[in-house]
Amino acid sequence: MRKIFPADLLARDDRFVRLTTEERFSDPRNPGSRSGGRGATKLTPARPDAPDAARTLMHGIFMGEVQALEGAGRTCWDFETGDGPDDAPFQLKLDMARQCWDEARHTEISCKLMDWMGTELGEFSESTFLYEAACNPDPVLRLTGVNRALEGLAIDVFNTMKEFGDVAGDPVLEFCEDWMLADEVTHVKMGSDWLRRLTEKDKDRRERALEFQRVVDKLFSLGGFRGEDDDSPIRLARRFRELAGFDKSEMDDLAEISRQAKQDAEAMRERLAAQAG
Amino acid sequence: MADPKKARAPFAPWDRRELPGSFSVEESARRVGNYKWIEMKLFEVLGGWVATVPELDVKMRLGTHCYHHAWHAELWHKRLPELREMNQDRLTEPPNDELVAFVDAMTEPEAPESTIEKLVGVYRVLIPHKIAAYTYHLNNTSTITDAPTIRSLKFALQDEFEDWRDGEMLIQSLIETDEEVDRAVQHQARLEKLMLAAGGIAGPGSIGSSYAATEEAHA
Repeated sequence: MRKIFPADLLARDDRFVRLTTEERFSDPRNPGSRSGGRGATKLTPARPDAPDAARTLMHGIFMGEVQALEGAGRTCWDFETGDGPDDAPFQLKLDMARQCWDEARHTEISCKLMDWMGTELGEFSESTFLYEAACNPDPVLRLTGVNRALEGLAIDVFNTMKEFGDVAGDPVLEFCEDWMLADEVTHVKMGSDWLRRLTEKDKDRRERALEFQRVVDKLFSLGGFRGEDDDSPIRLARRFRELAGFDKSEMDDLAEISRQAKQDAEAMRERLAAQAG
Repeated sequence: MADPKKARAPFAPWDRRELPGSFSVEESARRVGNYKWIEMKLFEVLGGWVATVPELDVKMRLGTHCYHHAWHAELWHKRLPELREMNQDRLTEPPNDELVAFVDAMTEPEAPESTIEKLVGVYRVLIPHKIAAYTYHLNNTSTITDAPTIRSLKFALQDEFEDWRDGEMLIQSLIETDEEVDRAVQHQARLEKLMLAAGGIAGPGSIGSSYAATEEAHA
């Protein structure tokens, strides 16, 4: 089996529908799409489309779990074990194997929740951006891109979904999201710890890793759908991020990235409206 | 209650543990180093295969089992210094080149159509050999002096039995035609021959020798 497995070869059965990132962002139903999307406001039970929006998000969570499982698994395989710059330390691989188990459980939980919420595998599309971040040839960049940026996003998403379960009177959803949230905090903390340990004597590498994290964070801010405004569809979960090793300035930066992404999206929508008019 | 000052035997009547064992400290350490090596190879390939198998239930099982074997590797890693091997990397090695050839062949399949071969290699060849070697060690080492290894072997064996059953059931559920039966059998036979050449996961003597006692009796 080769090292570094390309995203377009990720193995799926016939139910899965894969879209490119471009196609996904062009779909007006998706949060962060160029036309705003139905998920561009806070997810509350009062929204007329709340059940459908929640199912869309649940399906997205499921796909994220599958790819997170695949990404963690590849980190076990893609690198030689060792302390060299191109290697992954033994303990890091053990952490990634642990993450494999966690993500496998999350995939199982997500399958059950999709049934519970009335959606099914393949009803919504899959894009492979999460896994692509897990293909970086530098293990530190892989850890910051996936464990800090994307698993950090998962903290925000699960916290939002848990609150939605609470407000909507869905104890099953709230219960499951709370358990997955606990695991995500662990995964983000792994990323924070490994970033610190592996770049302790290499400031350039640390800066490259943090820059990669910023790029991933920006791409996943998706038109500002993650933020701190009252109407943000996904709320930045500061308390849980702090538990996972984020400091205040990092969270302020993230909030700023989201604000900027929201402004960019609004400007684009105005331009498109003007062109259409 | 009996008089608390009354002398009692150090070993209760039901405690039949004995001092003698088949393995010296060095031999136990050598085997533990081999175990760590094969557990590492196994968890790495299970993790790598997750992205390559289209069957969702298999994908999730491989992710779960990946951690089991990583945890076993960690148990053996921690045991090595307790067996006087302070450089854990020194004994983390295959017993011979033949086992490396086995692992290379087992980890070779990648295509999404080769899930049967992937599972057969692990669950019909490697894991049965791990169960055999771990059981031999468990039943032959000193139950008193090597108790920490025994404890780890028991933890590992519990996972191995459960994972073997999971894997075997997945294989049975995937095989639907005579041709697939042949594929599974041929791949198993190819890998089994490589394992035979290696002598088991700890090399020749992985499960002792059934002929040794007879030879000794005739000597």
